[in-house]
Amino acid sequence: MKDDLISSYIDDELSLDEKIHFVETVHEKTSFKTTTVDLLNQEKWIRGDVTYRVPSVILKKKRWFAVALWRPVGIFTAGLVTALLLIFLVVPEQDKVMLTNHRFVLYQPDVSRVEISGSFLGWEAVPMKKSGTSGYWEVVLQVPAGEHRLCYILEGSRRIADPTIPIREKDDFGGENSILAINMNT
Amino acid sequence: MLFAYLMRCTGDYYLSSDIVQESFTRYLDSYGDGTNSAALLFQIARNALYDVRRKKHRTLVLAEDSEYKVGNPEHHMMVRDEYRRVLSAMRQLGQEERDILSLVVSSGLPYQEIARIAGTSEANVKVRVHRARVKIKKIMNKGDI
Repeated sequence: MKDDLISSYIDDELSLDEKIHFVETVHEKTSFKTTTVDLLNQEKWIRGDVTYRVPSVILKKKRWFAVALWRPVGIFTAGLVTALLLIFLVVPEQDKVMLTNHRFVLYQPDVSRVEISGSFLGWEAVPMKKSGTSGYWEVVLQVPAGEHRLCYILEGSRRIADPTIPIREKDDFGGENSILAINMNT
Repeated sequence: MLFAYLMRCTGDYYLSSDIVQESFTRYLDSYGDGTNSAALLFQIARNALYDVRRKKHRTLVLAEDSEYKVGNPEHHMMVRDEYRRVLSAMRQLGQEERDILSLVVSSGLPYQEIARIAGTSEANVKVRVHRARVKIKKIMNKGDI
């Protein structure tokens, strides 16, 4: 018989069959009985009171409330951080602003200064460069994909639409703006 | 009983007291919604004890065989006279055997629950707890404590 059944007996872990076997062995084998009784007596010592005094437990309610309060905040913060990471790490790959270098050219041989302005520039006036003595003015700008309004400013005051772009619309000041579509199909 | 389990494992009154406090706090923090599980509480305490052992923030009396034997008078007074001999014998067990025996005799939980807490099989608990008892018997019979 396996001796560890003595511990199973001490700890009330024997099945009915094991109990039968155990009792029979106790009666048949003196050494088994002696070991069982010794371990039972020893168990009284082992299971005895360890200390004179058991320390009291102070339940830290404050911490519990703190956790109860902070747990949803923590979950919300974690969710927010995850969402931001997704926005900045994943979404930009798809919705990244596509910039296209676009060359703007205007033929104005009789003026000394030409600027370009448009919605994609925040309506700031950007100077154009005269191309030799050909009468052409040009500038290359990075333009995001989409539909934009633009016009040219001659001599710092007169606004004209781009003569090469047929689609135009009236602005609020009586002039006209050209409508430029950049990479609208992407 | 949780404190007795920790005392049997560590032999250190103050460390056991700290871990009991910490265990109840963790238990209420995580399962304060009406869950009532002694096994869970013992599991938390055992984890906390292993954390302490890992971090080595404090020297475990049973492992080091120093403080208890040589004598911290105040600490010594906390342990019942009758129990000192048992603690000394338990100190000579391996850590795992001492842990299993302490769990079995202190918690009153069935082997099945003990096995779950200790992360082992029920058969293994059965063997280890008996081996621990037999070892204690031999140690006490030898009278070298």
